[in-house]
Amino acid sequence: MMNEQTDRRNFLQKSLLGTTGLTGIGASITSTGSVTAETVSQAAEGEIRDEVDVLVVGGGTAGHVAAIQAGRNGAKTLLVERGAQLGGMTTTGGVSFPGLFDAWGKQVIAGIGWELVKEAVELDGGKLPNFAKVPQRHWMNQVYVNQFLYAILAEEKCEQAGVTIAYHEFPASVEKTMGGWQVDCVGFGTRRRVICKQIIDCTGGAEVVGMMGFSRLREEETQPGSMLFQLGEANNPGRHQLHRLYVHGADSSNSRTVTKANMTGRKSVLAKLRKEKKRLMHLQPEAGFRESYRIEGETIITVNDYTSGRVFEDAVSNAFYPVDLHTKNGVKPKPLKRGKVPTIPLRALVPKGSENVIVAGRCVSSDRLANSGLRVQASCMGMGQAAGAAASLAAKKQTTPLKVPLAEIHALLKEHGAIVPVKRS
Amino acid sequence: MRKTEPSGLRRRTTSLLTALSFVVLAVSGVLAFFLPFSIEVVGLHALMGFVFVGLIGIHLFNNVRAMKGYLRSRALWVSLAITSAFGLLFYFQPAPIKSLLGLSGNFGPAMERFEMSEDGMVFQYAPAAEYRMELRVKTGSAYDLQNPPQVAIWLENQGAYHIKTLLTPEGEGLPYWEFKHAGWERAKAEAGKEPDAVSGPTPNGSFDPADYILPADAENSTPYKLLIEINQADNDQSSLVYAVEIDNLDPSTYQLLELVGYPKREDEDGKEAWSLFYVDASVGSALELIDSALLMIDRR
Repeated sequence: MMNEQTDRRNFLQKSLLGTTGLTGIGASITSTGSVTAETVSQAAEGEIRDEVDVLVVGGGTAGHVAAIQAGRNGAKTLLVERGAQLGGMTTTGGVSFPGLFDAWGKQVIAGIGWELVKEAVELDGGKLPNFAKVPQRHWMNQVYVNQFLYAILAEEKCEQAGVTIAYHEFPASVEKTMGGWQVDCVGFGTRRRVICKQIIDCTGGAEVVGMMGFSRLREEETQPGSMLFQLGEANNPGRHQLHRLYVHGADSSNSRTVTKANMTGRKSVLAKLRKEKKRLMHLQPEAGFRESYRIEGETIITVNDYTSGRVFEDAVSNAFYPVDLHTKNGVKPKPLKRGKVPTIPLRALVPKGSENVIVAGRCVSSDRLANSGLRVQASCMGMGQAAGAAASLAAKKQTTPLKVPLAEIHALLKEHGAIVPVKRS
Repeated sequence: MRKTEPSGLRRRTTSLLTALSFVVLAVSGVLAFFLPFSIEVVGLHALMGFVFVGLIGIHLFNNVRAMKGYLRSRALWVSLAITSAFGLLFYFQPAPIKSLLGLSGNFGPAMERFEMSEDGMVFQYAPAAEYRMELRVKTGSAYDLQNPPQVAIWLENQGAYHIKTLLTPEGEGLPYWEFKHAGWERAKAEAGKEPDAVSGPTPNGSFDPADYILPADAENSTPYKLLIEINQADNDQSSLVYAVEIDNLDPSTYQLLELVGYPKREDEDGKEAWSLFYVDASVGSALELIDSALLMIDRR
């Protein structure tokens, strides 16, 4: 093994020396005699074809949890992520305090998301909040995680669950088939055709659901995104929040809007840096997005459902956070009344009139104010696990998520540590 | 027909009783300035007032002839005018009088009233003509009127910083209020400013109660909290804290306070800190000290 590595290193070094010694890249490629542009293209394309039970699109806060749950349930699972790591807002966005897992003195969200958060904190020598303690302000029981560590752990748990990860890829087209979907994904140098029984759309803005032609909801003016950075002092991951600048108009819908948001955010950071004359110590690679599209589901969670803590008949997970709508003027969170714990019904994860597709994350079917609380990471993790459970069971039973008996979904969720809402009589 | 004059002994006795009760009334009045929420002092002053009024009645009856003489005296009218002027001034309390009364205790009896009865406690706070706050606490089954629990009432801003104590407890035994109040005192000392003008020691905005209670710019006001800490000294249970959030942008006339938790000491980085914890099995009869607490805010 060591020899192989040494040989490979030597080979690379020699190749590099060889190219620098020649007049140009073209000449170096030609000089090898074995690699041409044509053969590289063929090697990369070969149209990779995957047949899986569950395709999870988006490896963010909900997506990696959904994939792990599906994988642990024995479903052959492929996770496609447009970026270079898992974790989404927790990691790439830098919002490494993934929401609230507790409410009113007890834990209300657990399962795979919590398992990851807990392990990340413990491995990092961090501290978990005491849920018996009354938070003086709504965010005080946030858990701080080391974003870098979290991304690696999420990847490890996916692999352990048998999930195949495909970074730098995204669906270009989706077609309905007899038993599910055919999805063509593209990445740089890669084209992948995926034949799957179930799709879990965890893209944040329900981009796959949009491709399928199902109805989505969107506000004229969406909440600002945030670019996170650190000026003047070193970033201390897993201990403190980063500095934040609003990116108004930040939109995660496609590569063009994401490019624009990131460039706008970086320009703002640069302007601040010049003004304050401090060193830039840390900058997230991407802005954090709060709002784009939401699905129109089989039911819509209203703000009244949310604030009253309605326990839906088909509730699959809990959520907890104040109503938290960010505007141009900032945010004034409206905490939930004592004892209230909102729930998420399975029907809010299923696009209206659809089969064999389910969503998880901030695109959950909800009105705008309810969504401003539901979009927070811990709740998205809960949704992710529920979607993973429903989709993998549906794949096994050759049916659609809404036709899977709720009791079986609940049982699977409980088996994997999730907290399932209980209808109070 | 000759009118019967009161006997000398009766006249002297009445005069002396009037004078002595007046002394008690005056001393208890001055004491009430410094101890506005002392049940003993306020009770003494109020009840002695009734005795004094009765004695004045007898005194006037005993001296009716002399009093008639006063009616023709210019001094009576001058005295009446002066007394009326003081009476009106002290009743309507223009700003200078309010400032003077503000020196009383923590806040000044001009703005606050505290009453206690078998049914409960009533606390009134009226910092302006257009703003009246009334907190009615109905006592629970564990409340002992003979040995009443200690109570503190205070306001906190959204950052959970103490901004104003409305009712200072007598003695010790309310650790959470003491911790919060001490933090405020420390912030004042650090800021080196007056109590009502402390600002900037935290990122949580102003410490000036007026900015929350009667904000100049109501549209941009932030909610604040009213808290009660209550503790029965002779039980071995922790004190309890009840709270309600007040939002001038979303005003409610009536709001019920909710039980928040019980305080427990924690050391943070070697420093003493008190946090609230959700009520668990360690709390028993203390939960019965208060039946309910209703906050009424009349914004005219």
